[in-house]
Amino acid sequence: MTPLLEISNLRVMFPARDAEPVVPVDDVTFSLARGELVALVGESGCGKSLTGLSIPGLLPTGAVLGPATSVRYDGTELSALDERALRPFRGQRIAMIFQDPMASLNPVMRVGAQIGEAITAHRRVSRAEVDRRVVDLLAEVGIADPAARARSYPHQLSGGMRQRVMIAIALAGEPGLLIADEPTTALDVTVQAQILELLDRLRVARGMAVLLITHDLGIVAGRADRVLVMYAGRIVETAPTGPLFARPDHPYTAGLFASIPRLGGTGERLSPIPGNVPRPDQWPDGCRFHPRCPVRVDKCARERPLLLAIERDDHRAACWVAQGNTA
Amino acid sequence: MTPLLEVEGLVKHYQSGGFLSRPKPPVRAVDGVSFAVAPGETLGLVGESGSGKSTIGRNVLRLEVPTAGTVRFEGVDLSTVPAGDLRALRRRMQIIFQDPFGSLNPRRSIGASVAEGLEIHRILPKQEIAGRVAELLGEVGLDPAYASRYPHEFSGGQRQRIGIARALAVEPRFVVCDEPVSALDVSVQAQVINLLLDLRDRRNLAYLFIAHDLAVVRQIAHRVAVMYLGTIVELGSARTVIEAPRHPYTQALVSAVPDPDPGSGRSRIVLTGEPPSPSAPPPGCPFEPRCFHPLKDNRCRAERPLLRPVAEQDVACHYAEVIATPPAVPVP
Amino acid sequence: MTRTAWGGAALAAILLGLAVVGPWIAPDPLVMDNLATGALLPPSSAHLLGTDQHSRDVFSRLAHGATVSLTVAVVAVLVALVIGATVGVIAGAGGTVLAASLRRITDLALALPRIVVLMVLLAAIGTLPPLTFAMVIGATGWPAIARLVRGETLRLRRAEYVVAARALGAPSPRVLWREVLPGALAPALVAATLGVADAILLEAGLSFLGLGMVSPAPSWGGMILESRDYLHVAPWLLLVPVTALVAATSSATLMGEALRRFLQPDTP
Repeated sequence: MTPLLEISNLRVMFPARDAEPVVPVDDVTFSLARGELVALVGESGCGKSLTGLSIPGLLPTGAVLGPATSVRYDGTELSALDERALRPFRGQRIAMIFQDPMASLNPVMRVGAQIGEAITAHRRVSRAEVDRRVVDLLAEVGIADPAARARSYPHQLSGGMRQRVMIAIALAGEPGLLIADEPTTALDVTVQAQILELLDRLRVARGMAVLLITHDLGIVAGRADRVLVMYAGRIVETAPTGPLFARPDHPYTAGLFASIPRLGGTGERLSPIPGNVPRPDQWPDGCRFHPRCPVRVDKCARERPLLLAIERDDHRAACWVAQGNTA
Repeated sequence: MTPLLEVEGLVKHYQSGGFLSRPKPPVRAVDGVSFAVAPGETLGLVGESGSGKSTIGRNVLRLEVPTAGTVRFEGVDLSTVPAGDLRALRRRMQIIFQDPFGSLNPRRSIGASVAEGLEIHRILPKQEIAGRVAELLGEVGLDPAYASRYPHEFSGGQRQRIGIARALAVEPRFVVCDEPVSALDVSVQAQVINLLLDLRDRRNLAYLFIAHDLAVVRQIAHRVAVMYLGTIVELGSARTVIEAPRHPYTQALVSAVPDPDPGSGRSRIVLTGEPPSPSAPPPGCPFEPRCFHPLKDNRCRAERPLLRPVAEQDVACHYAEVIATPPAVPVP
Repeated sequence: MTRTAWGGAALAAILLGLAVVGPWIAPDPLVMDNLATGALLPPSSAHLLGTDQHSRDVFSRLAHGATVSLTVAVVAVLVALVIGATVGVIAGAGGTVLAASLRRITDLALALPRIVVLMVLLAAIGTLPPLTFAMVIGATGWPAIARLVRGETLRLRRAEYVVAARALGAPSPRVLWREVLPGALAPALVAATLGVADAILLEAGLSFLGLGMVSPAPSWGGMILESRDYLHVAPWLLLVPVTALVAATSSATLMGEALRRFLQPDTP
């Protein structure tokens, strides 16, 4: 079955006037099948948000896609389309939700009206039908007393409820793909759990694919089918969740796991990754992680490693040492 | 041993309106909290938004005036201390903030920011200040040559270290850590946590470590207090509270912590509903509307449970003797 | 510096040069040269910008007027800045009663239209020497600055680095002076620079109405006033001061804009 979303050689560049262009997303390739939940994991500055934004063509002004870039949704090449041609895709087939619902919602419009807007943006529907669908959507995202709640303004709702409203807006167009960019980062832990549970439920009920962009490895466990780990603009490891957590192949992934505090508590110190994440205009040569890597060899500073399978076909890491290719 | 910090019945209400508009009900951010911190001990204060944990941090240091209750530092009741002596006392109790971007004056070099405390309290003669600043920067893992640079030239983690250096300059015995790693990336979080641990060992510091992330708190705290809607619902050693929680909210909190271990088999409790507003808390137990304890009854609705010893910890629940079995599915 | 700043600075430089150097090289503006034949002459090599109805050299009047107009404008703005910043900081940081009363006073003062107040004041007082005139203008300009400074002070008081300074034990005056004020001044400085444009126009307008300064030394507003009757024969008498006014106002506005972009890069 053809994948729903196919990204090949995605490159996002910001040309600079008198210098090298800055390339925050550098040759990213992955795909999503229908109904799959894939997590794109990385720390700030790795390019994961820009990757997400590039799919529905929402990159900031000044951004340019690389010549070899291909973004195919359900067979259609999106990167070649202009604004007008992209619009039917946005909201209707590809939906996106963001970290801070307060910033994405119109503060002077009732939430029911905002959901209604999302519904009528792509099809003609009668007033009564819109109202009915709004209430249905609010109920589907788990908001109690949806008819009354539809008349609330965003500031009258809690953070968790606002995020649910965002999800309702995203679902209004019946999308096949939902891109969630750090949807729970700004929420309390107990609310976070609720929202993630909701996303999972919706995914199953609607057969919707979800690209979950996050920096939190913890929320990925037990929810994602596959994980893509991003560092400095590149994907450094990809695997199904179980194998990734059981045995990360890339030193960066392993380093992340070692630096995450556990509830279990070992009484020992955490082992943080030394150094800092490099800035996009100061990326190291060869493997971009090599300055901070505990197992680096000479080759790592010279040549960029390719994303290759090591033991399982579906578990790939971009590391010379992990591949046993250090000559 | 006398506790370094003793808090009894701390209450902080925020009043809004009341001048030209009808006064609204006060926001009861902290509603009767008591605890103590011994020298060299780290007490973790855990809760979600609206729990009142950040408010406690500021009121304990008397950066705000509590509505009621007493705060005793080194045995002295802070409300009785005259302003001049309070300022001198501030040397021994410091604070580091959550936001690495807002906590440093953007117009001042970081060296000047770190030296601020030294100048205010005239700890060192002018010519020795630069040397001390260099020492402090080194102690938190930064190159002393950076002293002349400005905050915007540094990353979040580095700014957090600068804030720590600034607090250390005055040689405190007690530091309130107000969500110091929440705004940082995972790998940087670990660096800063380790730094705080090193400093604690080296300088015998006591911390009041305020956080919403139980896993982080587990790394650093000896004891943990769990807060819900302005009161402490459970208090005990970090290990006990996290591994054998007795209050239903603590259980839900523990279960909600994202665990990077898909095979851990930890059951997931998903709470329903939203935390109620701190300006309209329920009359009885604050957690009652969302509580899933099998013995929950009318008493819970009417009577607020007090924090009392049960097994190895203090719990504010009428039926804490019976540990609730977490429901497998969300409570409707 | 951006083009905006360069443009403004260039204009300012020309005008300043005019104001400073002009009076030295230009002939005496009071000299009525050749009363009979020297009046209302168009620009020539002898008189760069012509002469007016009293045979006075227009260029020198412009140059002397520049000194007067620009000095008045700058002094007015400085007065407004000092009063406004002081009131603003106290209104933003002081105790409840003091702060509230200052806020009411500021709002009240803002409600009165500035030009009307000035007209009434000057009509009552009569004509003034330039510096006093400047201070009067400044004394009506402080409310706008006070409001800006007060707003920033309120905002900055909550900034974490201010709390940090208090936590370190800094006494309140030190906190205000070192942490709050520098930040609060930024928008005030921008407003003040833009206010120079306002002050120049106010002075010109009041002089045109015959209020305000008396001086044998001309001001641009006065020049415009006097040009009214001779427009059809000597249009340069109007064009010259008006051009100068436009240049001065534009210069102040451009530099204020550049300053704003520098100090407050996040504002639209």
